[in-house]
Amino acid sequence: MMLSHCLLLASALFAVGVYGLLTRRQAVAVLLSIELMANAANLCFIAFGHFRGGATGQTFALFSLAITVAEVAIGLALVILLYRSHGDTKVDLARELRQ
Amino acid sequence: MTPALTYAAVSVGAPILAAVVLAIVPGLRRRGAPAAFLCILGSVAAFGAAVLMLLDRLGGGAAEVASIPWLKSGGLPIADIGLRADGVSASMLAVVTLVALSVQVFSLGYMKSEEPPAFGRYFTYHALFLFSMNVLVVAPNLLQLFAGWELVGVTSYLLIGFYFKKPSAARAAVKAFWVTKFADMGLLFGLLVLYVATGSFGWNAHLTPGIATAVTLLFFFAVVGKSAQFPLHVWLPDAMEGPTPVSALLHAATMVAAGVYLVVRANPLFEQSETTRTVMLVLGAGTALFAALLALVQTDIKKVLAYSTCSQLGYMVAALGAGSMVGGFFHLTTHAFFKALLFLAAGSAIHAVHSNEIGDMGGLAKKMPLTGGAFIIGALALAGVPGLSGFFSKDLVLESVEGKLGSVPYAALLATAFLTAFYMGRVVFVAFYGKPSAKAAHAHEGDWSMRAPLVVLAALTVVGGAFTGTFTKLHGEEWHVHFGGGPAIAASLGLFGIGAAFVVYGRGPRAEAPAVIAFVDGVARTRIVNRLYEGLFHNVALVVADSLAWVDRYIVDGLINGLGYGVLEAGRRARPIQTGLAPDYVLAVIVGAIGVGLWAVWS
Repeated sequence: MMLSHCLLLASALFAVGVYGLLTRRQAVAVLLSIELMANAANLCFIAFGHFRGGATGQTFALFSLAITVAEVAIGLALVILLYRSHGDTKVDLARELRQ
Repeated sequence: MTPALTYAAVSVGAPILAAVVLAIVPGLRRRGAPAAFLCILGSVAAFGAAVLMLLDRLGGGAAEVASIPWLKSGGLPIADIGLRADGVSASMLAVVTLVALSVQVFSLGYMKSEEPPAFGRYFTYHALFLFSMNVLVVAPNLLQLFAGWELVGVTSYLLIGFYFKKPSAARAAVKAFWVTKFADMGLLFGLLVLYVATGSFGWNAHLTPGIATAVTLLFFFAVVGKSAQFPLHVWLPDAMEGPTPVSALLHAATMVAAGVYLVVRANPLFEQSETTRTVMLVLGAGTALFAALLALVQTDIKKVLAYSTCSQLGYMVAALGAGSMVGGFFHLTTHAFFKALLFLAAGSAIHAVHSNEIGDMGGLAKKMPLTGGAFIIGALALAGVPGLSGFFSKDLVLESVEGKLGSVPYAALLATAFLTAFYMGRVVFVAFYGKPSAKAAHAHEGDWSMRAPLVVLAALTVVGGAFTGTFTKLHGEEWHVHFGGGPAIAASLGLFGIGAAFVVYGRGPRAEAPAVIAFVDGVARTRIVNRLYEGLFHNVALVVADSLAWVDRYIVDGLINGLGYGVLEAGRRARPIQTGLAPDYVLAVIVGAIGVGLWAVWS
């Protein structure tokens, strides 16, 4: 397995995430898409770490995972607030800044 | 500092000290009486110093100057500010402080019924005025004189508008301020021309004939405004809206004389221009006659005196135009005393009768012998009756004018002498003799503060003539007692005028006036000069102002408003980009990121 295979997989994963981010209207789906993009980045860390040798890349990936967990927790809290205030979890309901 | 300069410093410093204390200690001012005493204390100090300075100057000696540099520019001072002690400033200072002191003491009684805060404010203005006038008088150069000139203009505005709740008084104050300010431009521009030509504000420069004429004509324009000469005399009669003691001080004895004083001071410049002096002679004599005619038909005692002041200032200007600096200045001095006396006596009568109209008075000489006596002494002096001070000074003026310009100004001044005696006779016979009207029935003298100044000024009016020789000597001219035709003609014209007034008004006010007077009255009622100014104001000044306002509103403001509107409109156009939808923003971020990425790869 080559480095380029890993990067292609990561790119595909990232592209799927972007596509989901732009097209999904459900807040939970948007969060999932962001999660995909984050994991594409993690994959890159691991792949580069593996081919370069040493533990640096893996350490970064672990850190990144921990931060992503925190981010998801906040994201889900926002989803709940969105549901409470608008009665639904569609992102395009939250456009108060426009007004 | 020499003694004379120290006295000058005291006479300038004492009033401003009083004014500053009164200005920053409101408790003192609002209580009234303490403010008055502080102000009078300052004036007493100023007067004492001025007398000492005059005595010092009478001993002879060159002019003394003490000054500090002022307005430094490029390391060099443009002008000095300081004190000058010489015969001219010493005699003027003595006149100003004496009249001011008399008027302030008189005001103690006259303004008694004012509320304490207004009473205190009145005396604060008075202290400020005396300071301003003294700054003008002791000025060592024309720039400081100009500063004092403007300061008396401001204090005059404050004092005319003292009864500011009365619309006519407020209007009169504004009118006086505007008219004199308009004229003051002449002094300002004259100073600029003088400075450009000579590099200093001194009055001893030698100028080329053209520059000398330009500078002195510009100065004279300011004199016309300040000394109420035709055609800028219109503010003085209106200024009678102020309290009567104010009229006595500012609009008879001191401030209006500042114009004459300017010419006396800048005499070396005025001597260099024959043209200006001719203009002065003509305008002075013309104003003297014109104002005397108007004084004939006034029914308000203060307005008679106001027009009389215009007329007598015309005498002074004519004398200066004829080249007699001493004659004009001496008439200023004696006029200051007897006109202040007349105004204060008139104030005393007004205070007793509660009316300015001479028709409301009548028989006052019997009820108020002191006031009546004082007024009659003043009137006789003004009429030029031999022996009183007015006779001597008027004689000096007439002597200087005699034979100039084909004797036309001389004839005008002689006619004025007759008219002066006539209108003063009219006031005396109507207001002080004849049957008392209802309002005059309970008239009585004021308290000591109103009587004492009358006695002092009356005494000076009587004996003033005895100092003619001293006065002329102080200003470097010899004077001889002479019994020629001129004085005899003037004196007999004066007596004849009084006689004519007795024939016409000796038996009280008349329903039908003589034809000549009725004609003058008709002309005066048209208020032609005032209307001319109103017409000019409406048709020229307002049109110019309106067009400038249009430029300001639509072009200058339009530029600024247009800029603001443009920014607002641009913002309005740009708003739809902000949808408020998170996916749109994400799209923008991604497009941006891709753009940056492509740019990084290709470049």
